[in-house]
Amino acid sequence: MLLIDCPYCGPRNSTEFRHAGEAGKSRDLASATPAQWRRYLYEYDNPLGWVRESWFHSAGCRRYLSSERHTGTNEVRWVVPFGTAAPSSTTDEETSR
Amino acid sequence: MAQTATTTGGRARTRGRAARYSAFDIVRRGVTHSEWPRSFNEHELRTTYDVVIVGAGVHGLACAYYLAVNHGITNVAVLEKSYMGGGGSGRNTAIIRSNYLTPEGVRFYDRSVKLYEKLSVDLNYNVMFSQRGHLTLAHNDASLRTMNWRAEVNKLQGIDSSVIDAKEVGRIVPYLDVSADTRYPILGALYHPPGGIIRHDAVNWGYARAATHLGVEIHQQTEVLGIETAGGKVTGVRTSRGNISTSMVINCTAGWASTISDMVDVKMPLVTHPLQAAVTEPVKVFLSAVIVSGSLHVYVSQTDRGELVFGASVDPYPSYSMRGSLEFTEGLAAHILELIPSISSLKLLRQWAGLCDMTPDYSPIMGVTPVEGFLVDVGWGTYGFKAGPVAGEQMAQLIATGRTPDLIAAFDLARFADGRLVGEKGAASVGH
Amino acid sequence: MSPSEHWRIERQPGEVIDRSQPINFTWNGSPVTGYSGDTIVSALMASGVRVMSRSFKYHRPRGVVTATYFDPNCSFQVGDEPNVRAAHRQVREGDVVRAQNAWPSLSFDVRAANQLVGRFLGPGFYYKTFIRPQTLWPLYQKVLSRFSPGGEPPPIGTPHEIFDKRFAHPDVLVAGGGPAGMAAALGAARSGASVMLVEEEYELGGHLRYGGVESLAALASLRAEVASFDNIEVLTDSVVLGRYDDNWVGIVQRSGMWAKERLIKARVGTLVVAAGLIERPYVFEGNDLPGVMLATAALRLTGLHAVKPGTTAVVFTANSTGDEAVARLRSAGVQIARVLDARKGDDVVRALGRGKVTGVEAGDGSTTEADLLVTATGWTAPTSLLNMAGDRPIWNPQAARFTPSELIDIRVMATGGIVGDGSTAELVAHGRAVGSEAAARARGEVPQSVAALTPYPHPALFQSTTVGFVDFSEDVKSKDIVSAAREGYDSSELAKRFTTSGMGPAQGKLEMVNTMAVLAEATDRDFESTGTTVWRPPYAPISLGALAGRAFEPERISPIQSWHNEHGAKNMVAGQWIRPEHYGNPAAEAANVRSRVGIIDLSPLGKLDLRGPDVVKLLNLVYTNSWDNLAIGSVRYGVMCAEDGVVMDDGVTGRLGADHYLMTTTSSGAGNVWDWLEMWLQTVHREWQVTITPVTTALVSINIAGPHSRELLSRVTDIDLDPASFGYLKVRTGSVAGIDDCIVWRIGFTGELSFEIHVPASYGLHVWQALLEAGKDLGVAAFGVEAQRILRLEKGHLIVGQDTDGLTLAYQAGLGGLVKLGKDDFSGKPELVLQEARAGDHSHLVAIETVDPMLVPPEASQIVVNGNDIVGRVTSSRMSPTLHRSVCLAHVPADLAAPGSRLTIVLTNGDRAEAVVRENLAFVDPEGVRLRG
Repeated sequence: MLLIDCPYCGPRNSTEFRHAGEAGKSRDLASATPAQWRRYLYEYDNPLGWVRESWFHSAGCRRYLSSERHTGTNEVRWVVPFGTAAPSSTTDEETSR
Repeated sequence: MAQTATTTGGRARTRGRAARYSAFDIVRRGVTHSEWPRSFNEHELRTTYDVVIVGAGVHGLACAYYLAVNHGITNVAVLEKSYMGGGGSGRNTAIIRSNYLTPEGVRFYDRSVKLYEKLSVDLNYNVMFSQRGHLTLAHNDASLRTMNWRAEVNKLQGIDSSVIDAKEVGRIVPYLDVSADTRYPILGALYHPPGGIIRHDAVNWGYARAATHLGVEIHQQTEVLGIETAGGKVTGVRTSRGNISTSMVINCTAGWASTISDMVDVKMPLVTHPLQAAVTEPVKVFLSAVIVSGSLHVYVSQTDRGELVFGASVDPYPSYSMRGSLEFTEGLAAHILELIPSISSLKLLRQWAGLCDMTPDYSPIMGVTPVEGFLVDVGWGTYGFKAGPVAGEQMAQLIATGRTPDLIAAFDLARFADGRLVGEKGAASVGH
Repeated sequence: MSPSEHWRIERQPGEVIDRSQPINFTWNGSPVTGYSGDTIVSALMASGVRVMSRSFKYHRPRGVVTATYFDPNCSFQVGDEPNVRAAHRQVREGDVVRAQNAWPSLSFDVRAANQLVGRFLGPGFYYKTFIRPQTLWPLYQKVLSRFSPGGEPPPIGTPHEIFDKRFAHPDVLVAGGGPAGMAAALGAARSGASVMLVEEEYELGGHLRYGGVESLAALASLRAEVASFDNIEVLTDSVVLGRYDDNWVGIVQRSGMWAKERLIKARVGTLVVAAGLIERPYVFEGNDLPGVMLATAALRLTGLHAVKPGTTAVVFTANSTGDEAVARLRSAGVQIARVLDARKGDDVVRALGRGKVTGVEAGDGSTTEADLLVTATGWTAPTSLLNMAGDRPIWNPQAARFTPSELIDIRVMATGGIVGDGSTAELVAHGRAVGSEAAARARGEVPQSVAALTPYPHPALFQSTTVGFVDFSEDVKSKDIVSAAREGYDSSELAKRFTTSGMGPAQGKLEMVNTMAVLAEATDRDFESTGTTVWRPPYAPISLGALAGRAFEPERISPIQSWHNEHGAKNMVAGQWIRPEHYGNPAAEAANVRSRVGIIDLSPLGKLDLRGPDVVKLLNLVYTNSWDNLAIGSVRYGVMCAEDGVVMDDGVTGRLGADHYLMTTTSSGAGNVWDWLEMWLQTVHREWQVTITPVTTALVSINIAGPHSRELLSRVTDIDLDPASFGYLKVRTGSVAGIDDCIVWRIGFTGELSFEIHVPASYGLHVWQALLEAGKDLGVAAFGVEAQRILRLEKGHLIVGQDTDGLTLAYQAGLGGLVKLGKDDFSGKPELVLQEARAGDHSHLVAIETVDPMLVPPEASQIVVNGNDIVGRVTSSRMSPTLHRSVCLAHVPADLAAPGSRLTIVLTNGDRAEAVVRENLAFVDPEGVRLRG
């Protein structure tokens, strides 16, 4: 059971959260071509490694959160309120627990 | 492609007839103490192949087999980073059925069932296909409506499939609690007699053995590190055991489909989720059919050895981790006991996970990509094993003829950019 | 002297039996007496039983091997419970114990004939036969399934017994209560940590319990010290099942007064794995004969249960445990016929005998008569929990066992036999140091390393020169693994899968290392390159009941549900909600609405209270239609599409004040819509000021529908219902049945004049009853979901999820008129812009009339052309009590959507029927006179 350290509530079981998808997609209505729009809708980086994503603390504070997680180990490196800058100290290297 | 095969067809290859498997041969070898020959060979990795298949699961192995047997294309390497059948093909719950929702889905999976039905004979390897019947339970009127929808589509396509009432469900599987006062009453079920279970390892090994003896090379412990292209065409593959030049690469991976496609910058509409499964200790056989409950997100069948094999829906967030979770087994057990309350003392023996590449429309992605010579047979979600034979057969046909067969035309990658999604999601998302 | 007295030895210092308490039970129908504290198997051994089971494939007689939970030959049927691990389970008065895999009896099993054809039943034989003729395969399969090794499934109707769950948050959890584990618990507890100490057996102590006097003395002092700490919680007969992400640890507690089994879920600061060592069997001809057992089994039976396992023994030893067994057996009165010492080059070649050991052939060719052969040839470290924490144990050739590599996760540590060997004092010292460090890490201190405990050298002993069993429970012999490798199944995973070695009840704990050793030799590789297989959770089996716990499945009901139940409601399941489908006659309920007035409990309707200056922006974004000019006091119907243009929900939203709205959603969509609105507000338009409060269960919703609805409502409300001031699609607040602040709006899902009242939930039943009372003379009656469905279908109103599916776009649902592409932005707009351009390709939702008016095509009937080509389907279908004919909605392709188009419908019974597409979706009152009245 993944533990997610909610910045509002503290560490909570992942079953309290809903995964809200990869971060970094921009919803560009004005200039997107149909192909770009479908790419926005359907394509994902889906990497094996560190990924920035959103979680929704649905059974807690009901806030959207931003995080970085390793999809191979499920290690969550940081969690911040949605829209907050990511901690600057992180790099793409493995961190030890 | 067929042309290439002709030019290399005459070269001397390590191949030959496979040892015959039958009761007679078992007795003969037992009496004479003669050893069975190798079913699979180890090869040096050569520097060039006509076709390189990435992934020695059922899709890759079936594709290799049908390339060889249907089209005479045998200068083929199947590359596997671990051992053959070690990914989704060895981790699934081995349920076979064709009672899908869309006409294109039904046609496709029906072909798969037909191939499975004669696979033991075709491969001379008993894949132990047990067509014991498949029941998809409906617990509310919305799912009953979807079952009716599927049954009607199935019947018109000639599939043996119908909706039966709770009493009939109870007659087929007396252990199911079909009383009306349960939390999730069983209102009826979609009954699909040809559905059943199979020995997944046997399917993988049977294809591998047959393909090997037709001249295909299976390279285990050989990881693909990169795919070379020039001018938008595939030119070669870099592996952990050396480089290969080839003009044709087929991505037949599950769980790693995005990673492999990334090597040629083909972005895929995929999200990888673990799918967990579990097995109990054996008890004497009491469950004749395969039981699926969409509302409770569980399925169960009993092997001939007596173990109950359970599966559920994919994990709630994307991951490549195959460690499994405790909450999965908790939810699974709770839901199974809702259906079969008398088996609470049976013990869970082992749990495991595989990886599923989920697509937006619950249908696979098969065929050509913007990179010439890079084909995909990916995005199988939770139902890849069911489609192994037909996917292999159709992909082989595409490779050999250069034309996308009708049976898989609906599953092309371009449908996402064009907004032509396949309707299987209709079944998956209707109801509660 | 009873038989049991014959095999019992004098009182042992560490015995766990209570000789003052005899326990009577039956074994295959015969009475047996043991003592309290006996396992089923020790009681049987004490009464002279040596054959415990027949093997899976060859039906060979089998006896005790390990005398532990994982004994491969001691799974019994106890009463209705199959697969009871009888070398662990304590015997209880009245137990009815039976062998599982023998027919007709354990002593004469006809399937033992399989041994004669054993040479034909090699690994994977079933893959090689029964291929032709295919028609006979189902028959073969029936025969194969008779070979299931398990017990009988519990009979139908066996109740779900009480199981329980518990959460725990120990700073340190120690898996294993041997000397190192106890010491680790002490080390952690001493520094103030809260500790959970989990032991698989019934008491703490591990191997000290069946050791000598010195071991028992050390144990007594450790136990006393553990007992002196309040912050150590000891769980016995409990096993750590697995270590999952972020040190989430599952533990099964097998016995206790509260429940049959209990699952404990612990979020652990530091996990200390002190699982000890599992003794490994030796592979040689006859190694499965009853009378061949491990040294630890002999020590357990004698030391814990005071049972003499034989009369004349040969001991094959490579270590001090084997030496100890020699001394113990001698003191128990067993004659030691010979000691074979592997350290001096001795070997066992075969055990002789049929059905039991009668002699032992040594490596020197000599034969010794004996009825007991004890082996002590090495150990397997159960690294399961470390594997699950990401460790890849490495083969240590000097110690001939796997040991942890580097524990990369600082929250997991190991001590005891799993990492190394030592005297009791050394094990305890290491345990204490690890426990203390574990507590420090749990406090968040910088990890320090702990001086290593290293394994003793041990001869690498796996198999003799003869062929023997590698996996007793699966009947896999060493030569099976050799032939599998020769056939090409030569990696550890393929060999394991092909031979099924390690796939049985012990899950490789006894079999894995020997399998790998045989495979390594067969393929001429070392252990390293042969690889290992991954230990998968759970470490020990756990009942489905314990995993399920009390199986809470929440149900949601309206505050009026008790009234429904008292008035003959037939309830239905709708997601989590239980609600009335009807009260006996849905057609009559519907007819009553059309002719008089009915009320329906719509409480499951999703309801969201929206406040703030930017609500209208949100509405414009999430609905496809425009909300700019919605006046205070008005309501509007809207459709929500996801970003891919697919219809996801619909409902009515009313404006109650300048910045105050009430949104309704479908019952099943309420949760998703709420999350989705928050997504737009929190991640896309963070500048908007909107506060959302879910009020689904704060309000009871009652719809009053029918021509007399205004009259009925007017009798209980102070709101002015005059159509001139309270028209269609208007909302008012006021008092209803004396309850203030009720929200009333005029809408018409049923197609009738109707008022929907949202009442504070605790007054719901009161208002419901007041309406029924006030409307008696008007003929008011309750109606259920089924009547509502009939009524809405007569009116041609769609239901999202029934008349749409997971890919239905707004245009396909006949909702194109509600899509305002002129708006700047709304969810799904880009996709709908693209899809509108090819509306001709899409299917359409239309109303259809069957040519035979009395024919009601079942929902899901398919619409076909050219024989069997599917082009559409009937999504809703009912007999209309108003029109006395069938009414249907259907999806049809664009070229069949024009009014008057003739359709062919295939009914579920295969018959075909003709139908015609109607002009309008509404069958009843297409002009809307009734609902606007």
